[in-house]
Amino acid sequence: MDFANLSAQLNAGAILPEGIVIITLLVTLVWDLIVGRSSTKVTPYVAIVGLLIATGTLFLQWDTTEPISFLGSFNGDAISLIFRGIIAISAAVTIPISIRYVEQSGTSLAEFITILLTATVGGMFLSGADELVMIFVSLETLSISSYLLTGYMKRDPRSNEAALKYLLIGAASSAIFLYGISLLYGLSGGETRLSAITASIISNGLDESLGLVIALVFVIAGIAFKIAAVPFHQWTPDVYEGSPTPVVAFLSVGSKAAGFALAVRLLVSAFPLVSDQWRFVLTALAILSMVLGNVVALAQTSMKRLLAYSSIAQAGFLMIGLIVGTDAGYSSMVFYLMIYLFMNLGGFACVILFTLRTGTDEINEYSGLYQKDPLLTLALSICLLSLGGIPPLAGFFGKIYLFWAGWQAGAYGLVLIGLITSVISIYYYIRVVKTMVVKEPQEMSEAVANYPEIQWNLTGMRPLQVSIVVALVFTSLAGVLANPLFNLATGSVSKTPMLQATEPMTPVVSQAPEQLPMPTVESVDL
Amino acid sequence: MLSLLIWVPIIGAGVIAFAPGEVSGARARLGAIGVSGFLIGLSALLLFQFDLGNPEMQFQEYIPWIESLGLNYQLGVDGLSLLLLSLNSLLILISILSSKIDIERPRLFFSLILLIAGGVAGAFVAQNLLLFFLFYELELIPFYLLVSIWGGSRRSYAATKFLIYTAVSGACILLAFLGLVWFSEASTFAYDTLMGQMLPLGLQFVLLALMLVGFGIKIPLVPFHTWLPDTYVEASTPVAILLGGILAKLGTYGIFRFGLGLFPEAWSNLSPYLAIWAAISIMYGAMAAIAQKDIKRMVAYSSIGHMGYILLGGAALTSLSVIGSISQMVAHGLILAVLFNLVGVVEAKVGTRELDVLNGLMNPLRGLPATSSLLVMGAMASAGIPGLVGFIAEFMIFQGSYERFPIQTLLAVVGTGLTAVYFVILLNRTCFGKLDNSTSYYPEVTFGEQVPALILATLIIFLGLQPTWLVRWIEPTGTAMVAAVSTESAAQVATLSVPVVE
Repeated sequence: MDFANLSAQLNAGAILPEGIVIITLLVTLVWDLIVGRSSTKVTPYVAIVGLLIATGTLFLQWDTTEPISFLGSFNGDAISLIFRGIIAISAAVTIPISIRYVEQSGTSLAEFITILLTATVGGMFLSGADELVMIFVSLETLSISSYLLTGYMKRDPRSNEAALKYLLIGAASSAIFLYGISLLYGLSGGETRLSAITASIISNGLDESLGLVIALVFVIAGIAFKIAAVPFHQWTPDVYEGSPTPVVAFLSVGSKAAGFALAVRLLVSAFPLVSDQWRFVLTALAILSMVLGNVVALAQTSMKRLLAYSSIAQAGFLMIGLIVGTDAGYSSMVFYLMIYLFMNLGGFACVILFTLRTGTDEINEYSGLYQKDPLLTLALSICLLSLGGIPPLAGFFGKIYLFWAGWQAGAYGLVLIGLITSVISIYYYIRVVKTMVVKEPQEMSEAVANYPEIQWNLTGMRPLQVSIVVALVFTSLAGVLANPLFNLATGSVSKTPMLQATEPMTPVVSQAPEQLPMPTVESVDL
Repeated sequence: MLSLLIWVPIIGAGVIAFAPGEVSGARARLGAIGVSGFLIGLSALLLFQFDLGNPEMQFQEYIPWIESLGLNYQLGVDGLSLLLLSLNSLLILISILSSKIDIERPRLFFSLILLIAGGVAGAFVAQNLLLFFLFYELELIPFYLLVSIWGGSRRSYAATKFLIYTAVSGACILLAFLGLVWFSEASTFAYDTLMGQMLPLGLQFVLLALMLVGFGIKIPLVPFHTWLPDTYVEASTPVAILLGGILAKLGTYGIFRFGLGLFPEAWSNLSPYLAIWAAISIMYGAMAAIAQKDIKRMVAYSSIGHMGYILLGGAALTSLSVIGSISQMVAHGLILAVLFNLVGVVEAKVGTRELDVLNGLMNPLRGLPATSSLLVMGAMASAGIPGLVGFIAEFMIFQGSYERFPIQTLLAVVGTGLTAVYFVILLNRTCFGKLDNSTSYYPEVTFGEQVPALILATLIIFLGLQPTWLVRWIEPTGTAMVAAVSTESAAQVATLSVPVVE
């Protein structure tokens, strides 16, 4: 094998974005070693710039014709590009909102950023991983960094508790996941590349075997843990409550996006033989997540727990797109993830700001906030209403696209449950808005009454303000000006060969009388 | 032009809410009045440029938006929506004028009101189902905030109840729209495309029922009305005017435009039951109103009855009754607004709304003579006394529907009789009788506070004496709607496009 041939097969350019993130990571680490404590003035911005450059290179690879690299272990196709972009951007937004938080807690910022970037690299590799070993290695990179991040506030017992809980449950779920893919490895006669597994299983005559279903169940357990779907969600509220808030922001978006990337790739390319089964299981998980997430959120008194349950519910909505498995389904999922990124991170940014000012995250303590901090009130209201799917905010368009795709594919039951539960969700989101906006001055909570003067010139406050404003603008306008994002989402699906090969499913929840023919989208003729 | 009606108030709302620096309440109010004055001018222009001979959509605008969702920015106005659009502009001004001068948090208040103005205008002119839904849901949060911040003592309860009911209504309507589009295999939510749908009748019934529930909550029709008394009563006067005058009309408009317009077959099959439903609503509303001890609550219940007439006219499906129904939407908007405004004045001056406490306000020296005479006029209009606009609308409805549903119509006429009963009770207790001299030291009603009621009273009397000014705009569209239902094929004729893009 000559060198040219080898380098063509390696196709190392496909992981250029990850390379850039790794270089950024090393620069951050080394710079901190050289400069010491005062490095905090530079490192976060270096990291943000690095992540944005990585996103830019992802964009340049959009039209790539050679997605397969490293002898088939990594697949840089369009859907992976979009997921990697989402993860990179979620890290790039997480960093500015965490600077002040980490500073105030007295821990080292550079280390925090380094671990966060490692998690990002893990998530990005996971989105493109096309081979079992690669999947597991990148999954663990993401997971272990996440455990470290949740326990980063080592002087805070709640943070320690969260980290331990997350570690134990996460390790167990990793083990189960590993067992699942080892079964897959055995059934396919030693094949590790996802694209080849199915063919090997068929040629081994094992396509009806029970082992395949068991492998599927184990794998789904692993994935469901990552995306926090009910009943694999028990860690979520506790970990969200105890962990540092910026970490939660990243877990709820970046880590969740990586989980969905893994789900799409693994389920679609390795389990087409049991696609009815995995759709059935995921349907059950989606229904449970939507119902339980939204209903339990009603009773929460802590803002972070509320957002934890809301993120469980959001995962349920996202799974609709995955389950229907049509082009529209996948692209609606991608579209919703892009919007979810900003509205959820915006929400968390506001919670961080409030916690920094008052040291609490009880919902009652938000009473009468509008008088002291109109910007925070407005941003948090918009983000929460968008999560609740109120038009004309971005979340409404995301939800309507998901429901539309679901309905189109005949998953009426899922759409119906989605609709009902999103009506429920409006109630708890608006409860927070009401607490902030409606309460009279005399009903103001103690925390708000003693609200300190805003000092935007403190280290890390300006980036926090900027990211809140960015999230606010994006959440208000992304829905109205949704066309570029729509094109991005549909393009990512139509350019991905893996998703094009799959057939449209038969509906799972409520059976349609017959398969509806797909109408072509035509421009309206006036 | 139609876009201006939507975007000017929304931009105005943004300016009032986010203008830097201190903005005094008076200036915010002035700004809001300016914007709504502009809207009224625009509506007047629209009224005069409207082609009376043309029953189709006019002033159409079209901008492609999110085509993959079938969502496009598509506007148009016809006889059904034109007057409601003007009513919206007018009532926004009335509502702003009826607000207290020294209202708390004026910037938020006026910007929310203007947001509602834009949203309602958008819902009335949207020619795309999803666009309509977007504007329709846009109302939810501003109204919730308006009730829960500036409402009466039980405002929190009332606002939450309103929120839940309205959210459910929204979900029903969205479901009906999604179902309609997907079962008819259309690729777009455009109204004119969907009008030609040929769904099986059974499916039409299901979708129509969903829509009736959705819009029925908004109107509201019995038994979906339980949010109404609480919300109307707890809301402050300006908000109550908007709730009863405009928001309820969104429901009736939705039923006419989407229920009757999109499911003509199912509608005509269901119409006897709809007429019965309407009669029940009318009777229930009137009887419940008689039992009330609070004048605002009484007016609120009267609204339930009056909305029943609209449904009755729609169910009867004769051109006279449909025109009557559309007139009734406008007439009811004007009358309810004047009643709520006057009740608000009485409450502000006398300090109570209790029937048992109020007495002798007609007293020329120490009472509120001007307000109570206007109240008498408003009550007469609402009870359907000839010479006022309420009579015209109700008469057309009864005349038109008697030939098809005599019994239901007679019941409705009895309902009108009952309306007279409770308004006589109301007037008798509040305006007449002997004023207790020892307690009645009421502050004077300023001219500014009288203006909204005077404007409305003028319109009510003018349109009552000169009903052609009301009916001429409605007539072509009303007739065309009925024609579209009676002849199957006409449903497709209506889809002929009108390439008028501004």
